[in-house]
Amino acid sequence: MNIIVLVKQVYQSADLRVDRSTKTLVTQGVARVISETDKNAVEEAVRIKEKHGGKITAISMGPPEAKEALREALAMGADEACLLTDPLFEGSDAHATANVLAAAITKIVDFDLVLCGNYSEDLFAFQVGPRLAEICNLPQITYATKITLEGPKVVAERDLENEQQVVESKLPCLISVTREINEPRLPTLMAIMGASKKPTNTWTAADLSLDKEEVGFNGALVEVLRSTVSVGDRKRIVLQGEATEIAPKLVKALLQEGALKGS
Amino acid sequence: MSQENKGVWVFSELPALAFELLGKGRTLADQLATQLTVVSISATSDGNELVQHGADKVFLINDPTLTTFQVDGYTDALTALVNEHKPDVLLIGATRSGLELAPRLAERLKTGCVTETTRLELDAEKKFVLMERVTYGGNLVETHISRSRPQIATIARGLFSPIPADPSRKGEIVKVEPKIKPSNTKVLETKPKTAKGVKLADASIIVSFGRGVRKKEDLAIIEQFAQAVGGAVGCSRPIAEDLHWLPVEQYVGLSGQKVNPKVYFACGISGQIQHLTGIRGSKIIVAINNDPKAPIFEFSDYCVVGDLYQVIPALSNAVKELSKSQ
Repeated sequence: MNIIVLVKQVYQSADLRVDRSTKTLVTQGVARVISETDKNAVEEAVRIKEKHGGKITAISMGPPEAKEALREALAMGADEACLLTDPLFEGSDAHATANVLAAAITKIVDFDLVLCGNYSEDLFAFQVGPRLAEICNLPQITYATKITLEGPKVVAERDLENEQQVVESKLPCLISVTREINEPRLPTLMAIMGASKKPTNTWTAADLSLDKEEVGFNGALVEVLRSTVSVGDRKRIVLQGEATEIAPKLVKALLQEGALKGS
Repeated sequence: MSQENKGVWVFSELPALAFELLGKGRTLADQLATQLTVVSISATSDGNELVQHGADKVFLINDPTLTTFQVDGYTDALTALVNEHKPDVLLIGATRSGLELAPRLAERLKTGCVTETTRLELDAEKKFVLMERVTYGGNLVETHISRSRPQIATIARGLFSPIPADPSRKGEIVKVEPKIKPSNTKVLETKPKTAKGVKLADASIIVSFGRGVRKKEDLAIIEQFAQAVGGAVGCSRPIAEDLHWLPVEQYVGLSGQKVNPKVYFACGISGQIQHLTGIRGSKIIVAINNDPKAPIFEFSDYCVVGDLYQVIPALSNAVKELSKSQ
C-alpha cells in the first residue's frame, strides 16, 4: 500500500493577529506548522502503513521553508518527502496548485492512495483535493472520519451536516480527512533525528515538466484583486459595574433592539 | 475571455439553500439584464416552486441514479449543461456536498471557483463578479475575480434571503437527461445524525461559553440563561474538542458551526480569531468577560466587563423580570 500524503505549511492560525494601527496581518514571529488536518492525513497514512505495509511519500508545494513541514511528516513516519518549490509557483491559486501536485504525483506513478486534509488552516478553500482528483482522474472521498482497506477497495466513513455515510471506492483514490479521524502523534526525539536521514527530493517546475503558463500567477484561474485586514465594525458599548445594575440595562437595550423575544 | 457566456445559474442539492441562492441570483441577473436559471436534481420537484422564488428557467433532472448526492454524477450532469448553455455566473450552495462538487466541476470546466464567499457584487463595468471571502483565520478579507467563465462561487446557508414565493411568476421548466457515467464511489450506508437540541445554524438566540466557565457543573448557569432567553447553547472549540463537555456539533468557529443569530452571547470566551469568524454573521454580539483586554470585546456590540458567575445569573433574573413587564 503506497500512500502519497499532501502537506501544506501554514502560519499557526491561533497566533495570527491584526495590527489595527497599520492595518496589516502580523506574521512576524508566528510559527509555521503543518496545517492541522494535513497532520491528521499524515497520521492516518502512518497508521495504514503500520497495518498494511508499504511506503509513504509526503509532498508539499511551498517556499523552501516548507521543508520543515516535510521534516515533521518524516518524523511522524513518512518514508520519503518531495518539496515542490520554484519561484514560478508563487501566486498559484487552487487550480495552479493542483497542476503542480498532479505533475508530482504523475512522476511518482506508483501509489494506491492520496491522503490530504479536508481544508487548509489558512485559506479554508476546500479546493485542492477535489481539483487534484479531477486532474488525475481519481475517485474522491471527502470529510473522511475513518478509513478501512478491504482488498482492492477502500471503505471510508464520511461526516456530513446531517448524516454519516459509509462510502466505498476502488483504488487508487484520493481521500481528504477531518480532525476527528485520529489524534496525530508527537514524534519521539529519535524519530525527529531519524527524519533528517530520510530522502527529501526537491522538484522545480522544470523537474516536473511544467510550463510557466500552467503554474503560479500565470496559471491561476482566480485572481486576488485586493486583500484588506478585517476590523470589527461593532458598536463596542462597554458596560461595567455591579452585575445587578448592568444586567437590566443590557436586557432593556436588547429588548429595544428586538433581539430578545420579549415573552 | 469568452464574451458569449450569458446568464446567472444557481445550484444546490439542498432546497432551502437553492431558494437563498435564487434570491442573490435574482439580484445579479437583474443587474446584468440576463436570465436566472436553476438546475434542480430531484426525484420529486416539478420546478414550480423554484420559478415562484425567482427562477426564469429551471433545468429539471429526474435521474433515478442521482436521487442522493454523489460527486461524479452531479459533476457530469452540471458539466454537460454548462458546456451546452455557457452561463456567465454559477452559484453553488456551500454544503459539504456542494464544497466537494464545486472545485471538481470547476477543474473539469477549467474555470475559477471561489469557495465560501461572503459577499458578491458586480464591478463597475459589470464584467466581473467581485467575490469576497475571509482568509487567515478571519484576519483578511480578500476580493477575488475569476479569469474564466463561468465564474463559480460557493455560498453558505444564511447569507442571502430568498425572495417570497410569488405564485403568479412565470418561468420555463425544461426536463433534461444529461449523460452520466457510472460513479467511481458507492454509498454503502447512511446514518442520520441524532439531532441534539436546537440546531445552532437555525437558532435566533445563542448562548455560547468558553474557558471562562471553570467546571462542567457550572454549565447549569449557562443553560439556565439560555432557557430564560429561549436560546440554544453553543461553545468554543476547546470546550468541545479538548474538554468534551459538549458534542463537537455545538462548537462555534471557523472549523465548526458558523452561526447567524439575532443575538450571540459569548460568555467567558476570549475571542480567538477562529471563533470570531464563526460568529461574524450574528446581528448583535454580547461579550461577557472579566478581562477588559479580551480580544472578543473588539468585535462585540455590548462589552460586559465582569465575572460571568455574577453577570449571567443576574441576566437570567433581569430577562425574567423585564420580559414579564413587556
